[in-house]
Amino acid sequence: MSEFKSGFFVGGESCNGRVLIVDDEPDIRKVVRMTLQKGGYDVLEAEDGEKAIETINAGENRLLLDVIICDIRMPKVNGLEAIAYFRQNYPRVPLLVLTGFPDTDMATSLLRQGVVDYLVKPIEGEKLKASVARAMEQRELAHL
Amino acid sequence: MPSHPPTKVAILGAGRGGTALLDLLHQICTIEIVGITDQNPNAPGLQRARELNIPVYERMADLIRNHGVNLVMDVTGDPAMERVLHTQVLTGTDILSGPASRILWELVQHQSTLQTELLHAEKLAGIGSFAAGIAHDINNPLQLILGLAENITEERDFDTIHLQAQDIIEAVKRTTAICRDLTSYSRRASSLQDGEIAMNTKLDEALKIARYAVVLQDIEIRKSYQPDVTVKGNPDELLHVFVNLITNAVQAMESRGTLTLETAIVDGVTQVRVSDTGCGIPHELLGQIFEPFFTTKPPGKGTGLGLYNIKNVIHHMHGTIGVASEVGRGSTFTITFPRAADASEGSPRP
Repeated sequence: MSEFKSGFFVGGESCNGRVLIVDDEPDIRKVVRMTLQKGGYDVLEAEDGEKAIETINAGENRLLLDVIICDIRMPKVNGLEAIAYFRQNYPRVPLLVLTGFPDTDMATSLLRQGVVDYLVKPIEGEKLKASVARAMEQRELAHL
Repeated sequence: MPSHPPTKVAILGAGRGGTALLDLLHQICTIEIVGITDQNPNAPGLQRARELNIPVYERMADLIRNHGVNLVMDVTGDPAMERVLHTQVLTGTDILSGPASRILWELVQHQSTLQTELLHAEKLAGIGSFAAGIAHDINNPLQLILGLAENITEERDFDTIHLQAQDIIEAVKRTTAICRDLTSYSRRASSLQDGEIAMNTKLDEALKIARYAVVLQDIEIRKSYQPDVTVKGNPDELLHVFVNLITNAVQAMESRGTLTLETAIVDGVTQVRVSDTGCGIPHELLGQIFEPFFTTKPPGKGTGLGLYNIKNVIHHMHGTIGVASEVGRGSTFTITFPRAADASEGSPRP
């Protein structure tokens, strides 16, 4: 699959990539979607870790998902459990953490596990887009 | 020390001093309160004694000349009492009266002040663990506000701007609730606020506060409330008790399980029950959990004063607290309050 570059195939001419936002707060999903769509991304939503795992395993997402943005404090399967699953099963999909609670120890541990960025809410749209773009670059590099 | 026979104490006077002494002494297992008496049959300490199953005597002589009393404690405040006692009390019985009893009263008051301070300090220490919950509840709406505001700066469609501004206003309103909850919770409990407390409302309020300290998202919450259950006491202190019990319960379940909150009135006794399906408490520790500084949490995670303070608050409200627990199955804390004095003297409930 290393030749595969989703940005060239998905969602019409303006699609920079497909991003999954995992957060239990509908408000957060709404603004992240708004911000990233304006940046030309195709955005999928999941309300917890369990739904996120279902989403990534569903149909073409298995192949077409470029970046996951994940909250930590969520019901059912929480962020840490979901991230562990993604790292193990989809090591090539870059992960961004977007959390309401800055925790240095957790940030260090997550970055060690290969999370690209540990972002703390509230984050400005430009910074979020820059972070997603950085994650996209990693995705491209991983496919070279 | 169980090997020593308890010291048998008689209390004279059931006003504020007598009531405070009762509350203090009945918690000490080396002391047996053989009885209490007061000239005034409506003295508050007499009612308290009945609740604690301590005999109430109509005549002082019947109390002090019987039962092999070791010590007579006079808190009547009557200056003539000391002389009367020296003529009436049997040889071998000690007397605490006059200036000695005044000093004792001051010590009891001091102890009560310390207990209030300790309760407040422990509550404030607990609020430290709210940081994650508060951050979650503030930063999420802030993210919405920031995102919408950023959008508005670029948006040209007036209707969209209008709707998003409305959303910002709602998000700000939600966020202010956090400050309201926490400032009211962190204030010092004032004894002036004593009054009738609606138990069900208080439990719901505690649940709201507890969610700052523990993650309730994966906890199934079952409520079984009898309507209109009230108890007399300090609402701030009782809120603290409920927050602590709920927090402990959720921690015992490691954030997954069923939390059950129950209120009921059984034979005139008000019961409040907080149950979890968590790790349970080993049988050999059950006797220690209400002791000060007892904790099973790692250093820095608990003061060991939570249940101790809970017990003190409940005793102060003339209630009792007990626990039933099974390792691996969960724990149930049951608080009982006797029917309020004014209610118990009325006619039976219809």
